[in-house]
Amino acid sequence: MRTRVLSAPLWYGLLLTGLTAGSLMLGSSALAAGEVLEGTGAMLGLCEPLERSTQAIVELRVWRALCTLGVGAALALSGGLIQGLFRNALASPSLIGVTGGASLGAACAILIVGGYAPRLVLESSVGLDALLVPLFSFVMALCTTALVAWIASARGRASVTTLLLVGIAVNMCVSGAFATIQYLTLEEWEVSRAILAWTFGTLDDRSGFHCLTVFASLAVSTLAVPFVARELDLLKGGEEDAEALGVDVARTKRVALVAAALAASAAVAVAGQIAFVGLVVPHLLRLFGQHSYRQLLWHALPAGAAFLLGADVLQRWLFGAGALQPGVMMSLVGGPFFLFLLVRSRREVSTW
Amino acid sequence: MVNQLVARDVCFGYPFGPRVLHGVSLELVRGELVSLVGPNGSGKSTLLRCMAGLAELEAGEILLDDKPLRSGSARERALQVAVVPQFLPSLFDVRVEDFVLGGRYARIDRWVGPKAGDREAIESSLVACDALECRGRAMSELSGGQRQRVVVARAIAQEAAVLLVDEPTTSLDPDHQVTIFELLARLASEGRIVLVVTHELNLAAQFSTALAVLHEGRLVARGSVDALMRGEVLTPVYGERLHFGRTDDGCPFVVPRARLARRPQG
Repeated sequence: MRTRVLSAPLWYGLLLTGLTAGSLMLGSSALAAGEVLEGTGAMLGLCEPLERSTQAIVELRVWRALCTLGVGAALALSGGLIQGLFRNALASPSLIGVTGGASLGAACAILIVGGYAPRLVLESSVGLDALLVPLFSFVMALCTTALVAWIASARGRASVTTLLLVGIAVNMCVSGAFATIQYLTLEEWEVSRAILAWTFGTLDDRSGFHCLTVFASLAVSTLAVPFVARELDLLKGGEEDAEALGVDVARTKRVALVAAALAASAAVAVAGQIAFVGLVVPHLLRLFGQHSYRQLLWHALPAGAAFLLGADVLQRWLFGAGALQPGVMMSLVGGPFFLFLLVRSRREVSTW
Repeated sequence: MVNQLVARDVCFGYPFGPRVLHGVSLELVRGELVSLVGPNGSGKSTLLRCMAGLAELEAGEILLDDKPLRSGSARERALQVAVVPQFLPSLFDVRVEDFVLGGRYARIDRWVGPKAGDREAIESSLVACDALECRGRAMSELSGGQRQRVVVARAIAQEAAVLLVDEPTTSLDPDHQVTIFELLARLASEGRIVLVVTHELNLAAQFSTALAVLHEGRLVARGSVDALMRGEVLTPVYGERLHFGRTDDGCPFVVPRARLARRPQG
């Protein structure tokens, strides 16, 4: 037991270092390992910057790798929290409106950048889109979740079932609004293309701002883990049972919900719709025997980071420039995996 | 040290449902094992939930040593009151040891984790419930009886002064039923307050210090086993298909039987 606990960080460290190195090396222009190291060092102020275009490439790759790590970790943590909260291993952050809200926010931002806003905004819109889209989708995702939580708890204590149903209803409203925007801008080639492209999710051209958003949110969400991990384990027996054991159920639900929403919103705002990671990673951990949330939530951070970065590196290595965006890839892989889980859990139920 | 748990004029109804408890008053004292009996739907489990502080009362109050039970946090309550619930979900992926560790939740420091004392409490409570052999297994792998003993073990591990137990023997074979009741009686005699909801009238008769009879949301009797295990008291509650008697050593018993004591011919 002890050796396993000690060696897990080591394994994750090796895995993440290897994947990050692979991610930095891969790309349309070949760079030597030395150049990558030097360029990264230059970003940290440790050595002289490389030649301008090479330095720019290295910086793009570093931000991309960092973003991918952060997004993977945030989605996996959020998925673990949501599954604990809903006491259902098939739950994911999309249930509480994160994905729908983020899409709507992104679409609104694209409308503003695309010239649908008052001139006030347009005049200073140079370079604004890079900030505006993630910012809007982040805020919208949080607002949608807040709306879900607020409606669900309007009549005193919110049951998880109410939360789920309100989540479905609000998701429907939000995606209706999103579809309306899509429909109305159908003729506007640039705008509709930008909205559509956003829904696929992207890890290209990420900047320090993107990294900051996702890592800051991830850090805050991670702080919640010690306060909800044991509690989520006890909630498996139902809310009343947990309360009888001394769990502050209302607080646990609140903290888990806020932490999950924060992490997932930041991840989706930065990288588009790849919330599927949040469903898959906790499951992979369960397949490896991590059943208790006390362990699962901590493992989710490095495992999620490794999962997304690994998938990204793998497909860039296999397909090169023709690689799919992570959101598309995750749906292709995630759909069948979800079915596999359903079939498996049905067998579990019937044998019990 | 907790001396008494008192329900005073407790009224309770579920939202959008009829009222379940109509002004129930029940006093539980340290050292007593009280069996709460009554027909299905009489409100036994609801009263137990109320006395555990898990339900918002319509009227009345629950007092633990004269202090309202729901005034403190859930954690403070769990240090004083342990509950054995009637139903739990299947808990696929929970190991027995971790499940019983749940009983220590209120006592374990978030930043320190379980200590040696907690491990000992888990082990000794599993031993007391004759369930030590289950410790490494998953909850979903257990038989109904093993599972029930493990759930009781978790409440014992909680080391609370008050133990509220909802039908702890429904899936147990007769021998293990005796094990659980013996354990509850011992815990009561060591100075705890124990309330058991049960349909096992004969076990209740042997081990309880007192019976409480609930009928249609009202407490119709509370007193010694000798006084209450009689047709005059229980027939109006359970109906007429009960036969009352006494064992050779004078312990009252009751068996269900057809109204006209018909026996198969031949």
